[in-house]
Amino acid sequence: MGLFSFFRKENKQPPVSLRDRGILVFENTSEVIGAENVLKKGGWRIRVMGPPPEIRTGCDLVIEFPLVSELEIVRTLEEAEIMPLQVVAVSDGLLEPVNVFFTTDYGDFLMVQAANMKITVDKRDLTVVNISGGGCPDVPYLAAQMVGRRLDQVPEPRSIGHTLCGYSLQLAFEEITRKCLP
Amino acid sequence: MSQTVDARGLSCPQPVLMALDAIKRSQEAEMEVFVDTEASRENVSRAVESQGWKVESIATEGETFRLEIRKAAK
Repeated sequence: MGLFSFFRKENKQPPVSLRDRGILVFENTSEVIGAENVLKKGGWRIRVMGPPPEIRTGCDLVIEFPLVSELEIVRTLEEAEIMPLQVVAVSDGLLEPVNVFFTTDYGDFLMVQAANMKITVDKRDLTVVNISGGGCPDVPYLAAQMVGRRLDQVPEPRSIGHTLCGYSLQLAFEEITRKCLP
Repeated sequence: MSQTVDARGLSCPQPVLMALDAIKRSQEAEMEVFVDTEASRENVSRAVESQGWKVESIATEGETFRLEIRKAAK
């Protein structure tokens, strides 16, 4: 057990303020998604965010984490063979959350948008009828895998996507699932 | 072609919803759908095919795509 394993339990982690956060910068969005999965499974209180402009490197997402847990988080990622490009202390409040949703009710259909991605479901039979937005190369694949299938039977975008669009779609998927499934 | 869905000028997902509504309500086994973006063309094609319809042809007329769709034989 590492020195900071104490902080792993979510209810025991100290509250995070602007001054004790750090961000993990990765080479691509697939790594961000992979790191998020690993760290959340480990019980870490982390969030996927948009990076401050000064550290944008091509990947539009970073992981915010409690700085006090840096060593063990980095070690956890090393064990999972997902190494961040940079580990940076956050000195300002420029991070933007990406989990802002817009919901539109079209009567028989419900659409949820997260960032640049939209998912639309037929409320009568919970079938996914449309995936749109993005412009990332994996969007047609995501749509092909999800359209025409019931919301509770589609693969999660997190598991089949590899881009920022896949990540945004995962957030929209989770939100529409919350709204449509008991 | 007796039934026409004109979804030009509408943003996603509205063209898809219009096409699906028309499929569900119509007694016809074929119809034409007009859209004016490539994304709508792809999304409508995917959606109607998921409902057991087939895209018979796609014609481009200026900025308009005309999709001829037909209910697939069972």
